[in-house]
Amino acid sequence: MSQDIESGMRAALRPVAPSDEFSQKLLAQVVADPPARSKSFRLVSQGARPLGWWLTASLAASLILAVGIQQHLQEQRLRQSGLEARREVLQALQVTSQKLNLAYEAVKSQSTSLAGEKPGV
Amino acid sequence: MRKYTVSLLIALLVPALACAAPNPKLAMPEFAGLAQKATESVTITLDTALLAMAGKFLDGNDPQDAATKEVIKGLRGIYVRSYTFDKDSAYQQADIDAVRSQLSAPGWTRLVETRSRKTRANVDIYIMIDKDQAVGLALIASEPRQFTIVNIIGAIDLDKLHKLEGQFGVPKLDIDLSKTPAQGPAK
Repeated sequence: MSQDIESGMRAALRPVAPSDEFSQKLLAQVVADPPARSKSFRLVSQGARPLGWWLTASLAASLILAVGIQQHLQEQRLRQSGLEARREVLQALQVTSQKLNLAYEAVKSQSTSLAGEKPGV
Repeated sequence: MRKYTVSLLIALLVPALACAAPNPKLAMPEFAGLAQKATESVTITLDTALLAMAGKFLDGNDPQDAATKEVIKGLRGIYVRSYTFDKDSAYQQADIDAVRSQLSAPGWTRLVETRSRKTRANVDIYIMIDKDQAVGLALIASEPRQFTIVNIIGAIDLDKLHKLEGQFGVPKLDIDLSKTPAQGPAK
């Protein structure tokens, strides 16, 4: 009896080669409908960047912007200081010239009065 | 030990030598009390760095700026204190004497002394000469309602100062360093 069962199972589980028709059908199906790819592979292939890349890029851009703004403000302050120094130089020389003029007028009037006092001049 | 002694000697000599060299820079008082009373006050302090900065902002194409640039080329400092009041004799002579007394120190030579009854203005101009070159200028002008102190330090080129005539109205004073100073007070 056990031998009958065993031979029956062997006959049922024997390998059977597929028919040509089956192979052709399967291949046609594979060509028409390619298998689904994984999500990560799809994202990379479309040119997307990971989150870490975006964070780094944002940080770098912020840093460059901050440095640029600080440099601009420093240049503005330097320019203001320079213009103020220029104004003070002009004012200082103006004040000096006014007082030199006072001395000049006094010397001139003294020379004139001395010339007037000398006879025959 | 010998090295220590030499270093000590140098450390003692250097300040002594520094003190011996005439200093064209005047010690300006604060004049805080006067500034409060004054209707107008001008306080200008320009050291070497600020003069250099100002020079960069002077336009070489503008005649006034170009002349100014030439004048300040060798300067190391410009210091101005000027106070204007709304009534006569609002300031004391003692306020000015603190500065004037410094001009009796060695190195200073009085170039011009004017006393005008007409304008009631007294102007004294002092100069400090080192190796035949003016290295300091001090001007003290006192009028009934105004007094001004100007101290200029550095290689003062009086020729260039003369050339400023027409710019700021600087007059030609015909200042000759070879002449004796202090021609006498004007009356």
